[in-house]
Amino acid sequence: MLEAQDIQAEHKDLIHDVAYDYYGRRMATCSSDQYVKVWDQTTEGKWIQTSSWKAHSGSVWKVTWAHPEFGQVLATCSFDRTAAVWEEIVGELPGPGERGTRHWVRRTNLVDSRTSVTDVKFGPKSQGLQLATCSAEGIIRIYEAPDVMNLSQWTLQHEVQSKLPCSCLSWNPSLNKLHPQMIAVGSDDANPANGGKVFIYEYNENSRRWTKLETIGSVVEPVHDIAFSPNLGRSYHILAIATKDVRIVNLTPVEDEQSLQSGVTKLDVQTMAQFEDHNSLVWRVCWNLTGTVLCSTGDDGCVRMFKMNYINSWKPVAVLKGDSSKAQCSSNNAANGNAVTAFSGTARYIKLGSISQTRETPWH
Amino acid sequence: MSTFYVVQEGPVNALALNKDYTQVAIGGRNVFKVYSIEEDKFREVCNVRGSKHLNQGFSYNDVSWSPTDDHYLATAATNGHVSVWNLTKMGKAMQEQDYQDHKRTVNKVNFHASEPNKLISGSQDGTLRYFDIRVKSAVAIFYSNTESVRDVQFSPHSSYTFSAVSDNGSVQLWDIRKTEKCLQQYTAHSGPVFACDWHPEVTWLATASRDRTIKVWDLTSKPTLEYTIHTIGSIGHVKWRPQKKFHIASCAIVIDCSINIWDVRRPYIPYASFNEHRGFPSSVQWKGDPEVFLSCGKDSTLYQHSFNDAFRPAAKANPQGLSVNNKGEVIFARKNPPFHTAASTTAITTPTSLAKATVGLMRKISTTQVIDQFHHASSSLQNFFHLNEAANSESQNILALAKNYVLHGRSISELCEHNSTVAREFGKSHVSVIWKIIKTMYGEEFMQNSINSSSSNREEVPHNNISKTSNIGTGVIQMENSINNIRDLETEPNCKAASDTQTAQFSGGDDETETEDQVDHIAAAYNGFPSYLNVRSGLPKGDFSFGENELDMELDSLDSGDCYFLDFPTGCRGFNHVTTDGPDWILPNEAFPLRHELRDRSPPPEQFPNHPSPDLPEEPQAFQVEETTPPLISVPKAPKKSMWDPSNLVIEALKHHAILGDIQTAACILIVLGDCRRFLRDLDEATQEHWLLGYIEILSSYKLWNIVTQVIKLSWLPSVYQLNQQSTRINTNCGNCTKPLQRVGWLCDKCHSSGYGVCCICNQVVKGLYVWCQGCSHGGHVAHMRQWTLQHKTCPTGCGHLCEYG
Repeated sequence: MLEAQDIQAEHKDLIHDVAYDYYGRRMATCSSDQYVKVWDQTTEGKWIQTSSWKAHSGSVWKVTWAHPEFGQVLATCSFDRTAAVWEEIVGELPGPGERGTRHWVRRTNLVDSRTSVTDVKFGPKSQGLQLATCSAEGIIRIYEAPDVMNLSQWTLQHEVQSKLPCSCLSWNPSLNKLHPQMIAVGSDDANPANGGKVFIYEYNENSRRWTKLETIGSVVEPVHDIAFSPNLGRSYHILAIATKDVRIVNLTPVEDEQSLQSGVTKLDVQTMAQFEDHNSLVWRVCWNLTGTVLCSTGDDGCVRMFKMNYINSWKPVAVLKGDSSKAQCSSNNAANGNAVTAFSGTARYIKLGSISQTRETPWH
Repeated sequence: MSTFYVVQEGPVNALALNKDYTQVAIGGRNVFKVYSIEEDKFREVCNVRGSKHLNQGFSYNDVSWSPTDDHYLATAATNGHVSVWNLTKMGKAMQEQDYQDHKRTVNKVNFHASEPNKLISGSQDGTLRYFDIRVKSAVAIFYSNTESVRDVQFSPHSSYTFSAVSDNGSVQLWDIRKTEKCLQQYTAHSGPVFACDWHPEVTWLATASRDRTIKVWDLTSKPTLEYTIHTIGSIGHVKWRPQKKFHIASCAIVIDCSINIWDVRRPYIPYASFNEHRGFPSSVQWKGDPEVFLSCGKDSTLYQHSFNDAFRPAAKANPQGLSVNNKGEVIFARKNPPFHTAASTTAITTPTSLAKATVGLMRKISTTQVIDQFHHASSSLQNFFHLNEAANSESQNILALAKNYVLHGRSISELCEHNSTVAREFGKSHVSVIWKIIKTMYGEEFMQNSINSSSSNREEVPHNNISKTSNIGTGVIQMENSINNIRDLETEPNCKAASDTQTAQFSGGDDETETEDQVDHIAAAYNGFPSYLNVRSGLPKGDFSFGENELDMELDSLDSGDCYFLDFPTGCRGFNHVTTDGPDWILPNEAFPLRHELRDRSPPPEQFPNHPSPDLPEEPQAFQVEETTPPLISVPKAPKKSMWDPSNLVIEALKHHAILGDIQTAACILIVLGDCRRFLRDLDEATQEHWLLGYIEILSSYKLWNIVTQVIKLSWLPSVYQLNQQSTRINTNCGNCTKPLQRVGWLCDKCHSSGYGVCCICNQVVKGLYVWCQGCSHGGHVAHMRQWTLQHKTCPTGCGHLCEYG
């Protein structure tokens, strides 16, 4: 059973996003107060704020972690029309026996958008360091850091104009080589007459462009969040959509003559489930690690969980609502102390001498 | 009230409303006009700049309408002129006064609120000049001692006070009667202050700066900073919203083309935004009504805006955050419920938000509930976690299975057996069963069947192989007999016969099995399955890990998982039958008659000649998938398929697990199958790679690096096993002579020393793993170093470095 623990976030305004890192031991929060905070979990399970900094000059809408292979890297996007990439660096050791101080530095500021940047997400690790942003003006931008060791250099690779303002995006995380890169974008446009609010884009290797594959016409209400399920071994993709209800949509690539010739995937779109359990607007959807459980939150203040059973049909399985009294007492401990770091500082590197004429020895 | 606009010839820098808000004057480059404001449009009343005879070489920076006399307008121009215009006159006579006192651009001009004929100007030359429109030159000069004055405003609270803001970031308060020295001066911003505006009700002064902040100062006594609003771009103009104490409008001069209305109590997100302007707005004037205002901009437009058309960024803002980690823990941030409910549920609100709410209660006087709540924006953050680690079944299971599965090093059947036991121990009975089935189908002792079926499909008949296997693996009469049968049958080089044999062999022992009925297929499957057990029971224990005890376990599993098997009474019955009367079974005797029977019957033989390829007939397979309840897909169906070619069913089963998110089972079985993967011809490499990568992904998120490495190492796909070969080059140089080492090991061919291969604790040359501190590069035996670092922080060599790998 899950227990609720309140965390005193000390944000001065609404928190718009929270994100666990890859290992689930760190967490980042971002808020309208223009601050981003990073939290580390102690071995006892308490969350302790280890960094807090003013990241933007507007509300920070989203925060997202890069794969740890690239370092401790965050990306944020904001109402101030920028997206930023942050890296945590460990400072010089202040003295013998003390841990190095950690802080986050802005590696780049992506200023191409002329309106609020509503979402930012790192691409799949296999594609190197890629970053997609979408904005209220309806432009999806794909950036790439050609050198993963240099986070301050990002080039704008693609700009895709969607016909509606964008509110959220999700990369397809499929590890299958045969699945081209795919991005789903949701729009919070309020007018149902403007048609479908979810767009699927795919990168075409032949034309080297992102092209729109599909508009999911069944979703005409504003979309607040969108999330591809982790695809660890399926041939098709599952997309969760937070709109006036929770939608689960299967996207199955169809292999026919036409798609093989053109290299453009054809998708068979099938709505698998539609849950109105929240009885109110649904704001967020999120998958667990294996893509077996979908979590959603709505204006009812609950986290609801859905699971696919063995005959591929989705069922609600749990509702989480924080027990306030219990949460209250456990929160006090998390509030104090922000100096304790859960991680040890790394060692200092000393150059011992120059290496001449190195001989490369393959490890194998 | 509606939104409408009119386009001008050039950028508009300023606008001024007359005292009853019926007319508007605008000034800018090549623009100086007066419009009357009608219901849904602007009507031009007067175009002063249109007169040909006027000097066109400058633009108006500001325009002001006299609040006492509706006929008088004042302008401030870039050429340093301050002019007074009389709207009742025509032509050149309109310009009643043209003050040329300022030496540089005049930024601002303002009429005194109550005293007629008085106006003040602020200029780039750093001076402020006070004019009486009846006098031909300034009546007073104030030297600000700053480079330039950007804005000057009379206080609405005191008829003698005015404020001036400058490029150096300072605010000055002056008394109109004291020209020699300002009353007060303080530094308000870190950059030039572009604008200031007095609050109409309280003695607050808002200042806006290039440092991208709007600050609200309480000037009752000593200036104190009340609120700070951080904005996107430098702010060029601010204006308090009438009747809304905490609201202020701002215009940016860069980046942001929208006019933002802020609630100073929530200084992070605009209360409302007006995005109509395509260029930067330059000025805002409220039409006496908090719902309507006029604006002009660099995009050469004059707008009237209505609050009905406002964009509310906060309403679009996502009020919730959600994230799930690999342990299934949930972090959830949500907007606290509205104020009135928060009071009733005080337990939920945090102490800070409670305090805020109380303050809000006191401030709440006349404003409506909705507006009042705008600034009460706070979120609570909750972490849902597993109180008891073990209770978190899914991720714990994955972890436990990953750690305990054995993926190589033994025979397939031993691996399957072991993994099956492991899966059972952690409560995954269906995964346990699928391991057993895999063992049954691909385990070495049973491989003859698979080999047989596949080889006959391929039309190669490895007789020797089979007999060898049978001799080594079994030595049980029944088994040998059956194999002999197979061999006999295989002498007919057509696959039909071979297939028939298998059917016969598997279905032996139960009369019902020949029928085509679906249930009986499963019965056949079950009878086939225990018949193996039966055979095995005659084996000496230890040769197979699948002894009698395991047989009981098998039974237990079927019992414990009886929910899976309820639909298959026949199968269960068959099973029981076997366990009791097992020894009476003689496969060969029954296999032959059955074969003949089957051959006579049309359906099964027909299927096979038509499908000589390794692909199984699709229809029965599909039929099975639909009819059985899915947990069974992996259970009863698979053994049944072993009669033909289990591969496709195994593929189906693995795919099923992959779809259900159990990539661990799919990937591990693939790995364990080893060479037997060649039978899974229909499983394309991309999918195999996908599963392996998926499993690696899960393992790495749990930091199970050793298992990741093992999986990568065991991989048969280049794209996967190459993962371990990236960035794995290591350069070794001798620590003594810095020459590269020529061989693996620590002896340097150049200086014949092994100095750097020595453990710094025991002084012996390290054979095997050498661990060293990346900071000081001293190291030695792993065990020695570990022991040392448990007790010490510094390097064992005494170099003084803090080696922190304890």
